[in-house]
Amino acid sequence: MHLFLTYTILGLVTGAVYGIAASGLVLTYTTSGIFNFAQGAMAMLAAFTYWQFRYGWNWPAPLALFAVLVVLAPLLGMVLYVGIMRGLRQTADVTKIVVTIGIMLGLIALAQWIWSPGVPRTDGLFFGNTAKFKVLGVYVTDHEAIALGCGVLIAVGIRLLFTSTRTGVAMRAVVDNPALLQLNGGRPERLAAFSWALGGAMAALAGILITPISGGTLDVHVLTLLVLDSIAAAMFGRLRSIWLTFAGALVLGLAGTYVLGYFPESWSWASNFRIALPMIVLFVVLIVLPQERLRGATLLRTRERFTVPTMRSAVTWGVILLLVVLALEQVMGTSDMGSLTVGIIFGIIALSLTLLTGYAGEINLAPVSFGAIATIIVFHLGLSGTGTAQRITFWGLLLGMAVTAVVGGLIALPALRLRGLYLALATLAFGVFVSDMIIADIAPHVLPIFHLNYSIFPNGTLQIPPLKLGPIDLSSSKTFLTTATCIFILIGIGLIALRRSNYGRRLTAMKDSPAAAATLGQNLIKLKLSVFMISAAIAGLGGVLLSSASVSVNSDTFIIFVSLALVMLTVVGGIGNVAGALMGGILAGTAFQALTSTFSNLSTDAGGGGFWSVMANLSLVAPALVGVSLGRSPSGAVPDIVARYKPLWHAKGVLLLGVTAEVVAYLLVLTKVMGNWWLVLATGVIAIALPAVGQLVQPEAFLHPTKAPPARETLEPPPVAAELLVEGVVDARP
Amino acid sequence: MPVLEVSEVCVAFGGNQVLSEVSLTVAGGGVTGLIGPNGAGKTTLFNVVSGLLAPKSGRVTIDGHDVTKAGPSRRARRGLARTYQRLELFTSLTVRDNIRVAGEIRNSWSRRGRMDVATETDRVIALVGLGDVADREVSELPTGRARVVEVARALMTQPKILLLDEPASGQTEQETEAFGRLLRQLVDERDLAICLVEHDVGLVMGTCEHIHVLDYGQVIASGSPDQVKDDPVVVNAYLGTP
Repeated sequence: MHLFLTYTILGLVTGAVYGIAASGLVLTYTTSGIFNFAQGAMAMLAAFTYWQFRYGWNWPAPLALFAVLVVLAPLLGMVLYVGIMRGLRQTADVTKIVVTIGIMLGLIALAQWIWSPGVPRTDGLFFGNTAKFKVLGVYVTDHEAIALGCGVLIAVGIRLLFTSTRTGVAMRAVVDNPALLQLNGGRPERLAAFSWALGGAMAALAGILITPISGGTLDVHVLTLLVLDSIAAAMFGRLRSIWLTFAGALVLGLAGTYVLGYFPESWSWASNFRIALPMIVLFVVLIVLPQERLRGATLLRTRERFTVPTMRSAVTWGVILLLVVLALEQVMGTSDMGSLTVGIIFGIIALSLTLLTGYAGEINLAPVSFGAIATIIVFHLGLSGTGTAQRITFWGLLLGMAVTAVVGGLIALPALRLRGLYLALATLAFGVFVSDMIIADIAPHVLPIFHLNYSIFPNGTLQIPPLKLGPIDLSSSKTFLTTATCIFILIGIGLIALRRSNYGRRLTAMKDSPAAAATLGQNLIKLKLSVFMISAAIAGLGGVLLSSASVSVNSDTFIIFVSLALVMLTVVGGIGNVAGALMGGILAGTAFQALTSTFSNLSTDAGGGGFWSVMANLSLVAPALVGVSLGRSPSGAVPDIVARYKPLWHAKGVLLLGVTAEVVAYLLVLTKVMGNWWLVLATGVIAIALPAVGQLVQPEAFLHPTKAPPARETLEPPPVAAELLVEGVVDARP
Repeated sequence: MPVLEVSEVCVAFGGNQVLSEVSLTVAGGGVTGLIGPNGAGKTTLFNVVSGLLAPKSGRVTIDGHDVTKAGPSRRARRGLARTYQRLELFTSLTVRDNIRVAGEIRNSWSRRGRMDVATETDRVIALVGLGDVADREVSELPTGRARVVEVARALMTQPKILLLDEPASGQTEQETEAFGRLLRQLVDERDLAICLVEHDVGLVMGTCEHIHVLDYGQVIASGSPDQVKDDPVVVNAYLGTP
């Protein structure tokens, strides 16, 4: 009984904190229609800031709390809303999701930058460890009592705010019809800003309360994920009801501690299960949620516009990309080639998003986790040979893709009736589950019936050998790069062909109006299932290539943040375009490659890592900032680039001049007259100067954009831009 | 035998009774009108019939089959097609592709043999008179013509019954007249029944053989245009005195 009570109190306290964070989510969602994925990161940042004030600078606790909870956190919430979220009305679900993910990744990067992860930091309990009292024979610390009290206060407070105050009633009206509210004298913008400020304060409170309870150690990723768990609670209340949200939060908190307390110690997976529990609950709650009925889109038009290239231009740009990569191979060192390969492979994984999100309008936030499934299958069943002669076989790769497609289907099947945000959350839950339970399954355990000693991810690190496709052995980095590029091009052209086919038009129909597609007789479930499976198979292929390129993979390779960054950067590039996938992949591949190499630099060369950690942090914060800017051009960067360079097609002389200059620069590098850096510099100058020169020399080409062929003719970025991207990868690192 | 039969359908949104025990039939091979003031429940009834909204109680029968429990796509396969008052076009496709994809969807489920989608698309485009804008983006069209695209799209599934939700709103007077002729032509040439929700009284009186009048979620009158026109209840609730 004593033990039970201890676990119950701990569970209630954790639940109260989940409830605080979750009600912040509900508050911001109901008033602005934006689901704030950055809630966890805001909580994390607040916990760090509080630590800095309280322990770093030794401020008294009330002052530190006041500064964080009353000043900084509400300010952050309000600035986020006014600066970013307000611009997201009339954008597609995926854009809204990606922007808050961008903020989350940005805050994580910022925290890692300010507070170097190498230094241990701990937050203590309020009033210290000795401040406690006895309830029914069980010690309760003052800190725990405060957490519980805050939970109760906030639950009651928000409930009263929503039902009994004018502001609260108006807040509920905002999400339904801001225009109508405005006509009736309400101020939707101000209300939304106010709720974001409140939401920020609640995230901060949750972060500050939970840190000491969960051990006190400040870890950027752990804290962010911990508060991300509160999404499950918010889903209990269907992002509306505060009571149900708190009820869900308490269930989550209690279930977690009971699992910890009462599962037999022989179950080696029990502690992983406890960590994964909120995400499992999230998945189940999403499935059990009453079905959202199919209805007409609430928006008549979203701002995103994507065009489809002709097959001819698809093939042409494919050949150009291959030629560019082949040319670059001549001048690149092995490690540069390796990092370009990773970028292209991320591009392949991103293509799975082009199909799923760009064409079919469904969102998958965990593409890399599907890659992890394929990698595990290949590791266990798809290898032949031993030692350095070990290879991934073609059939192993195929099996990995097939299993991933089936897993994708199994995950998607119950989630298929979900749309937009809810499906995105289901895939997020799957992704975190894969990290917490499958990849964390490192210790061998005995299978009950077969008496086999088995673990899914032996020792936490898998060595993945190169791939062998018939006569093509990918052990040389040059062959690997060429093959990866060819695979990207083939899948890219295949997707464009698919989009132009009967199947692609049906996907587009489903995306634009599920209601109309269904009333024409389209079985939406079947169509979604098929596209989810194809997409999962592509992600699986990319995942195996990624693992093979990384040689040894561990939990960091597949952590959910990698997926989230890739999704974000692909949307930044342009989720509806194959070229956008390439851009997103290369951006993601580079940034994370840079990070990885930086960390290895730091560990081997403990003394002199300062400069490179700044570089890595910069490269991590920068893409997040780019993601946040999506509100301004939600179709992605590729259409903008196309628009900028397109008039050059009518200024052939200038275009020829630019290409010639680029070729000369390349030849100078090839003959070792100049170093690689000069090529990057020359390409940059040419890329920037070309439109300007064109405008000077042949202004008429730029003045009559209507004379250009219709926009659906070309889609891929012009070669100059493509090269700039590719080469940016090559030489941006030591 | 009626192609569509709605019996005692009730729908409530919260405490608001939107349809109370609505029963009506649509006969094969003719145009049936469904009129009534705004908020009478016409679009809600269409949503119930096409499977987008589950009624609290009641029954829907299409072509003799009880489809009350079926989803929208299975009802389409029984021969139901519709257009929307708030347009539901495939906004990233051209006019031609909007119509074409409907034929492709139809081919994926029809047991009556595959149609040659390209030829049928051209035929329907010519029939409804969209030839001049066939290759334009559908989002560039004015509302009146966009509604015609929805009609053309619905026709591609070769339905037995077509529900039209305010197809003439946003059309010019000439367009409406041409549209009325098109409806008669469709009914006469194809084995098609049309159920028309419309506020243009001229169009309704001129094309319909039979009219149901809905008010506050109840059928207040049914009959031929002449009967309905002079019904004091209908005049009072909707038509008004001239």
